[in-house]
Amino acid sequence: MALAAKELPQEDALVRMQRDLKRALQKKPQDIKWGMVIDIAKCIGCHACTIACVAENKLPPGVVYRVVLEEEVGHYPAVSRRFVPRPCLHCQNPPCTKACPVTATWKTAQGVVIVDYNRCIGCRYCLVACPYSARTSDFAEWYTGGTPDLGGKLVGRKAAANGYEAHPAAEYGQKWPERDHDSPVGNARKCHFCLHRLKVGMLPACTTTCIGRATIFGDRSDPQSLVYEMIGSPRVFRLKEELGTLPAVYYLK
Amino acid sequence: MLNERHFRYIIILAVCGLIIGTWGMGARLLYGHKYMDYGSFVPWGLWVAFDLFFLGLTAGAYIVTVLVYGFRVKLFAALGPLSVFALLVTLLCEGIIISLDLGHPLRIYRFLLTPNFGSMLFWLVAFIVAMWAIYLPTFYLLLREQLVVWSRDEKRPGQKFFRFLVGGRTAYGEEDRARDHRRVRVLSYISMPIGLLFFGMHGALFAILLNRPLWNGAMTPFLFIMAALLSGGALITFLTYLFHPRDDLVQPLGRIVLGLLATFLFLEALQFFVGYQSQVPNFVTSLNLIAFGPFWWAFWILHLLIGSAIPMYILITQPRNTRAVAWACFLVLITFFAVRLNYLIPDLAVYKLEGLQNTFYSHRLRTDYVPNINEWLVSIWVLSLGLLTFFLGMRWLPVEAAGIEEEEHV
Repeated sequence: MALAAKELPQEDALVRMQRDLKRALQKKPQDIKWGMVIDIAKCIGCHACTIACVAENKLPPGVVYRVVLEEEVGHYPAVSRRFVPRPCLHCQNPPCTKACPVTATWKTAQGVVIVDYNRCIGCRYCLVACPYSARTSDFAEWYTGGTPDLGGKLVGRKAAANGYEAHPAAEYGQKWPERDHDSPVGNARKCHFCLHRLKVGMLPACTTTCIGRATIFGDRSDPQSLVYEMIGSPRVFRLKEELGTLPAVYYLK
Repeated sequence: MLNERHFRYIIILAVCGLIIGTWGMGARLLYGHKYMDYGSFVPWGLWVAFDLFFLGLTAGAYIVTVLVYGFRVKLFAALGPLSVFALLVTLLCEGIIISLDLGHPLRIYRFLLTPNFGSMLFWLVAFIVAMWAIYLPTFYLLLREQLVVWSRDEKRPGQKFFRFLVGGRTAYGEEDRARDHRRVRVLSYISMPIGLLFFGMHGALFAILLNRPLWNGAMTPFLFIMAALLSGGALITFLTYLFHPRDDLVQPLGRIVLGLLATFLFLEALQFFVGYQSQVPNFVTSLNLIAFGPFWWAFWILHLLIGSAIPMYILITQPRNTRAVAWACFLVLITFFAVRLNYLIPDLAVYKLEGLQNTFYSHRLRTDYVPNINEWLVSIWVLSLGLLTFFLGMRWLPVEAAGIEEEEHV
C-alpha cells in the first residue's frame, strides 16, 4: 500500500487531509488547533465552496459563511484576476467575541470561533466588529418566500419549503427548531469550520468541494499535517494582518 | 409658550403618529426583521441612530441636575423636575427602540446571566440601567411633596393613584423636604461620574472598533459627550421655553447651547481634517459619503445650515430674544438626528474587503442602505409614544408644580 502511494506522482491533497483529520481526532480535543490554508494561485473562482457551504448548512437568503472575492490586479495590459475565498478567519485574537455583550460567541480550545444560537440576543455588534465582514445575520428570509402557495403535499410554497429549508441543518451537531420559530433566526451566523462534520471524521464541506484543492484544512499544531506544512510556505500571508487579529486561516500568494 | 391649543395639537399629532406607526410596529412584532431594510453589511440602521439620538437627549437633564443639585446653581432650580422627567421619557423611548432592534429582545436577561465584562455594549447597558436607578428615584423624590398635596385633593381625578404613589402619606413637612432634597443631592453626586461614563460609553462602543476608521480613535467618546450635551441642552432650552418661559432661564441656557454648538462643530471639523489628511482610503470614502454622497443634503442643509449656521446666527445676534433663542435650539434639536444618522451609516456603508459587493447577491449583503417605510413607521410610533407620555405626564403629574419655588430648597 505504502509502495503504491510512493509510485503516484502526487497524492491527492484530500486523501492526505482525510488522513490528517483521522490522526487529529485521536488527540485530546484541547490539543487540536484547527486551521485552514487557501492557495490563491489554485483557486479558479468556481464558487463551489460557497454553494457547498450554503447547501451543507442550509443557509437562508442573505446568510453566507464563505464567499469568494474577485479582484482585478494591475493595469491593462498587465492585468490579472485573482480569487480570494473568505470564510470566517477564526481569529486567535477575535474582535467579534470581545464585542458580544452576553458571551454568546467565543473561541473554543480548538481555535474555532463559534456562536451559541440560544444565547445570542441578535444585537449585531459582532457583525459591526468583524473586520472581514464574515458574520451575517439571519433575517428570517426564505428562498421559497415568493413561491405561490397551494394546498397539498407535493406542490406550492409549503411543500417546497418542507422539502428543504423548513428544517435547519444540524449546525454545531444540534437539532434546531423548524425555521421561523426560533434560533438561528434573529441570530448572528458564521462559518464554524463544519464542526458537525469534523466530529464524525469528515472534512468541512468547502474543503471537500474545492475542485482545485485550493483549500487545505487540518490540525495546524500537527507537524505531520498538510496544513502545518503549508503554513510554513514562504508564500503565506493573512488578511489585514496589521489589525493583530491573528487569523487561523492563512493564504498562499 | 405652551397654551391649551398647542397642547391639544401635540396630543392629536402624537395619537396620529401612534395610529400610523402601528402598521410598522405590526410588521416588526409579527414578522421580526424580515421587512426591514438593514442587512449584514449595514447591520445598524435607523433605529440605532434613533437610539443614539435619544441617549444623547438625556444629557440636557444631566447638565441641569448636576448644576442644580450637585453645584447648587439656584438659577435653574425650577427646571429640575421637568428635566428629570424629560430624561426618563427619552430613556423610555431609547429602551423601546433598541429592544425592537434586537433579534431576540426576550433574551435581554442574558445581560445578567452571562455578562461579558469586556464588551462596551454590556457597559453601555449597565450605565443605562444605572441612569434609570439614579433618575427614577430622583424624579420621585422631587415630586413627592406635590404628590402628597395632590393625593389630599378630593376633587382631583386619579387621587387614589397619587395616594398609592406616596404610600398613603398625608403629611409632608419641612423635615421631609430637607431629607428628600438631601437624597436628591446624593443621587446627583453619584450621577456626575456615571453620566460622563454613560455618554462617553456611547462613543467607546464605536471608538474601540479597529476596522472602522471613521469611528476608531480616542476622540470619539469625547465627540459623543459633546454631541449629547449639545442635543440635550437644546432640548432642555426648548422645553424651558414651553413650560417656564422666563428670560432669565432660557437666555443663559441659549448661551450654553451656543458654546456647545461651537465646540461640537470644531470637533467635527477636526475629524474631517484628520480624516482627509490621513488619506486612509476607507476613512476618506466614509467622509466623502457624508459630504458628497447621496445624502449630502442631510449634512450640508439639515445639519450645517438649518441645524448649525442658522441657530448660531440667531444665538449670536439675538441672545436677548427668548423666543428666538428657543426656536434656534429647536432647530438644533430636530436636525441633530441627521448628525446621528450621518455618523452611524457612512462607516458601515463602506465595504471592508475589496470585491465583497460582487460575491453573493442579496439585498442584505449590500451597503446602500436606505431606511424603508416600516422602519420609519416604527420610529414614528416610538417618537409619538414619547411625545404623548411626556405631554400627558406634564399634565397628569405635578412636574410643573414641583418646579415652583424649587430654588428655595436647593
